[in-house]
Amino acid sequence: MTDTTQIAPHSGQWDTVIHQFKQTGQVLAALVLIYGIFFVLSPPFRSIDTFLSIFTQASILAVLASGTTVVLISGGLDLSVGSIFAVVGVVVGILLVEWQVPVIVAIIAGLATGAFCGALNGFVQVTTKVPAFIVTLGGLTAYKGVAELLGSGRDLSRFPESYQMLGSGYVMPISIMFGAALLIGLFLTRTQLGNHAYAIGGNEEVARLSGVNVARSRIKYYMIGGLMAGLAAILEVSKLNFAQSSRGQSYELFAIAAVVIGGTSLFGGRGGVGKTIIGMLIIQTIYVGLAYLGVGTSIQRIAIGLIIILAVWWDVWQRGTR
Amino acid sequence: MGEMTQGVPVLEARGITKHFGGVTALDDVDLELRQGEILAIVGDNGAGKSTLIKAITGAMSRDGGTVFFDGQEVQVETPSDAKDIGIETVYQDLALVNELSITKNIFLGREIRRDDFLGHWFGALDFRRMENEVRDLFQRLDIRITDIYRDAQAFSGGQRQAVALSKTVMFGKRVAILDEPTAALGVRERKAAMKMVTSLKEFGLSVIMITHNMDHVLNYCDRVQIMRLGRRIAVRDVSEVDGDSLVGLITGAIDANEVRA
Ligand SMILES: Nc1ncnc2c1ncn2[C@@H]1O[C@H](COP(=O)(O)OP(=O)(O)O)[C@@H](O)[C@H]1O
Ligand SMILES: [Mg+2]
Repeated sequence: MTDTTQIAPHSGQWDTVIHQFKQTGQVLAALVLIYGIFFVLSPPFRSIDTFLSIFTQASILAVLASGTTVVLISGGLDLSVGSIFAVVGVVVGILLVEWQVPVIVAIIAGLATGAFCGALNGFVQVTTKVPAFIVTLGGLTAYKGVAELLGSGRDLSRFPESYQMLGSGYVMPISIMFGAALLIGLFLTRTQLGNHAYAIGGNEEVARLSGVNVARSRIKYYMIGGLMAGLAAILEVSKLNFAQSSRGQSYELFAIAAVVIGGTSLFGGRGGVGKTIIGMLIIQTIYVGLAYLGVGTSIQRIAIGLIIILAVWWDVWQRGTR
Repeated sequence: MGEMTQGVPVLEARGITKHFGGVTALDDVDLELRQGEILAIVGDNGAGKSTLIKAITGAMSRDGGTVFFDGQEVQVETPSDAKDIGIETVYQDLALVNELSITKNIFLGREIRRDDFLGHWFGALDFRRMENEVRDLFQRLDIRITDIYRDAQAFSGGQRQAVALSKTVMFGKRVAILDEPTAALGVRERKAAMKMVTSLKEFGLSVIMITHNMDHVLNYCDRVQIMRLGRRIAVRDVSEVDGDSLVGLITGAIDANEVRA
């Protein structure tokens, strides 16, 4: 056989990347447009501080949402990540404030707790085959209860200085957000397990018939979702300098909103983490922008709610036309 | 009937039985695939053709029956088990994931990992190698698809079927099983697909092909197994039958024990 190792003008991988960038570009354009509108409407909005605070405020939820992206791409759903967030916050609080373990130990334990909670969701889902919506709705309440049990009667504040650095200021939270997104992005696009997320989300039966261990993979995606919820909690506890079982409430909805606004399909098989970060930035821009225009939180919620519906409608409509 | 003298069949199934609730989809069905042949399976919709190959290839559990490969009994419980012994199957309507590129579809479940710590520890994939292998494969099979990094979604029915068939050459060491490979295709695409099916033989594969197209049975296949209502009604050399007798056997108008055409 002749040497058919074709050195294409550019490897196909690059075309995939370019294609991805085109889609991401649309969401990015939407972000710039929304930012521009507020920029024009509100003079105080036009500051570098506002710009940076949008990123900072987005960072914690963006970290959480990057895990949600993986779960949704694989065709799963985890409504309990807000409660996992609360559990991890309390666990890290107890470890650092009461037990005074080294910061790195607390961080690792927090991440492990998040990963375990996520994996447990996945395990229950694939073994019982109860829809993910129900399993993780149960998880939402159950993990909330765990967080309350652990956190009740405890004053989890005054964290070590070195720990407080993680989530404070602009630089650390923003770097951690981009770092986490980069790792999740590499995972999704470059690894076998990441590629299987698209396959399973796209057509679970074809994936199964192709020899993919669907159940085991799914557990791992939920585990990553929990892990990122844990990282987000670690960041927030550090930023606020206190931990409480009531934190994380409805964070899962913001995460899902960011994923969907970013353009990842709620039905699985398509999407990426970069889009999610942009989606979260869009949400924060709208929040901050409306606040500058003197619009109350209730109206902000309504606006975000409508945008979520619009984003899903767009997803459904695109599916229909393809 | 000319008794089989070809030696052991490459793939053999005995007494395959499958129930769906109260429905008996397969009732004690046998199958023999000889080395190097194309065996057609024909029968009306609902006759149990798809269920038979799913039960044999581990895609579906079965309620009874045994599978032999090269005369040895084999345990095929999952799709991977079948692939491991060299059986590649293109299931009806379940060939490709729309959302994955052509390359990723072909390698789905058997991706090539990078040969470094990234590959060993993190399962990082070697896309360049996979793409080169796909281009090489397509060249050998005369498949003219160059944008192999595009989503399967973007391709025509014929192209998608070519990709699905090419997978059997890439990985099928011994047997290719095709469930209605030409069903969704236009006339010209059908011809191209059948050309590919024939060429599978040249790559050393023995082929089972489920089809509704009697011309394809008569022109491209060696033997034909006729199924009706979950049973194997008859097996014939293609030289022994014609279109009318096949249709008669499928519908039950001709009794399998009657004199042949
Ligand atoms: N997953 C399933 N659940 C219930 N019944 C099924 C299932 N798959 C097939 N059947 C039934 O089994 C019988 C055989 O179907 P099938 O093997 O698909 O037929 P064919 O491929 O010959 O058209 C039919 O009666 C069909 O309704
Ligand atoms: Mg069928």
